[in-house]
Amino acid sequence: MSDHRTNVSYWFIAPAVILMIVILIAPIVIAATLSFTDYSLGNGKFEWVGWENYSKMVSRSTYKKMINATLTYVLVVVPVSVLLGLGIALLINSVKRFGDVYKTIYFLPVMAALLAMAIVWEFTLHPTIGIVNKTLTNGCGTWVETLFSWHWLPWVSQDHFSWYQQGCEDSFPLWFGNRDYAIYTICFIGIWQTVGFNMVLYLAGLTSVPRELYQAAEMDGASSSWDKFWLVTLPMLGPTTVFVVTITTIRSFQVFDTVEAITKGGPAKSTYVMMYAVYEKAVQQNLIGMGAAITVVFLLFIFALTLTQRYLVEKRTHYS
Amino acid sequence: MTNKFGELLPEFSKHFVLILGALIVLLPFYVMLSYSFKSPREIETNTGGFFGKQEQMVNEYCVKLGNERSDCMETPIVFNYTQAFEKAPLLRYLLNGVFVTVSIFLIQILVALPCAYALSKLRFWGREIVFGMVIFCLLIPVHAIALPIYIMLAKVGLTNTYSALIIPWTISVFGIFLMRQFFKTVPDDLIDAARMDGMTELAIVWRVMLPTAIPALMAFAIFSVVSHWNDYFWPRIAVTGDRDLYTPPLGLREFKGDADGSNWGPMMASATVIVTPLIVAFLLAQKKFVEGITLSGMK
Repeated sequence: MSDHRTNVSYWFIAPAVILMIVILIAPIVIAATLSFTDYSLGNGKFEWVGWENYSKMVSRSTYKKMINATLTYVLVVVPVSVLLGLGIALLINSVKRFGDVYKTIYFLPVMAALLAMAIVWEFTLHPTIGIVNKTLTNGCGTWVETLFSWHWLPWVSQDHFSWYQQGCEDSFPLWFGNRDYAIYTICFIGIWQTVGFNMVLYLAGLTSVPRELYQAAEMDGASSSWDKFWLVTLPMLGPTTVFVVTITTIRSFQVFDTVEAITKGGPAKSTYVMMYAVYEKAVQQNLIGMGAAITVVFLLFIFALTLTQRYLVEKRTHYS
Repeated sequence: MTNKFGELLPEFSKHFVLILGALIVLLPFYVMLSYSFKSPREIETNTGGFFGKQEQMVNEYCVKLGNERSDCMETPIVFNYTQAFEKAPLLRYLLNGVFVTVSIFLIQILVALPCAYALSKLRFWGREIVFGMVIFCLLIPVHAIALPIYIMLAKVGLTNTYSALIIPWTISVFGIFLMRQFFKTVPDDLIDAARMDGMTELAIVWRVMLPTAIPALMAFAIFSVVSHWNDYFWPRIAVTGDRDLYTPPLGLREFKGDADGSNWGPMMASATVIVTPLIVAFLLAQKKFVEGITLSGMK
């Protein structure tokens, strides 16, 4: 009986184990191996090129721009979307009414196909017929321009020429067509999509903060809600934060849909993020070796992150 | 009086901030829906409010086919949505999407459940090794295996097939992990009783374990279906030329590729059609969806 069950066990795990090896583990070995070659599909022969693909990543300006664009994206999207997610969760948690309505609205972008929404955003931010620039232009010469000239603020000099006035004078940004704006506009879409996800995780974290802790803090003299936030809420959200930061970072390293659909890495490679580079190099240009090297670097980033997260979780570190 | 004011003000300002944020969140949905109703002229001039005036317009494609102009009059909303389904085979894309996401989910379950059962309830040599493998594989992001799998599929001539869209997702280590955790909470007595009744181990997996795991399975189903319906990265790599295999996001992207100025309306209509099913499902079962999506925490 027991022998029979042992046999059954192997039948039960066999498909999963085989698929894990073929689909998950082997590909990593393959990627690592190919990253040292100049392999391309349809070409039987290939040469070992040693570290050449990797050294290109530090020497060629294209790949420096790639690392730059990727890190910019991660370093903007992660802090902003985590803080906004936390802020919105705290607000929703504290309002007396309509909390659920807000929660639903903020979660909508998580559900919608990012590719579809990327195309809609491109249209929304279209320089001539997009609703954003149209609205901005309509505000020129009205009270809106006066408001955003900031001249009514006592510390802003009358000579100051604000961003909005500049836009009225010349034109408002091309958003995706301008190399100074493009990556940040892509970041904006990323934040727009991620905030709801982080908010939900924080809302779940907030419900697990025991009420007694607030009472205890009150007894210890924490009277204002600000004090209670710093003493109780924030430290208790530590594990949630470690988790939210890790997952947002991993997702940010994987950004692809918005870049492929809108900017194709441009202008001037300012939005040339890693996953797009893998796609362009390996799939479009058939430079498999280079694509594999980028994949390996990407993987190392992710491994480092996940291992840090596990280390922090095991230490039960509280964010305070 | 002052006290009451002090209580109300923060509440007001909270709602103010939340509403402002909500407007930004909703802006693209508004644009998408509104422009799927409007005529090209209304889109270009940004007039017509949310629904557009719905004045009759000439369908130029219909005229090009040799019909009388008077026979080709349509309201913009009809024009946009019929174009979405006629100019691109949107229905085919949707069916592809359903076929691919459902197949992926079913295969994932078929592979994961017996494995999760063995890992949680059966004793055999190597169990810890297999579980360690699962934990290690959880670390691997799908974006990292895309390129090597693409090469493997190309080598065996499977790119541009339904299999290419499905194969990389047949194994969900996350699903195995999740189900194993869940099965551990199922009492052993239940399984022993089933064995007494003469059930085979396989029957126990499908007739005893599966029913107890329905809630976890639902959450996993939502997670799996949402991520694969919306996925663009893998289909983009796996399917290059064959439009018959396009999933909804690929189809929409293709539409954009050959869009000229007047095609924004139909394109927004396609986007609406692609995004709506999941949004509606989410609105109907919000709690389940939030649970399912946040499951992806492990990934």
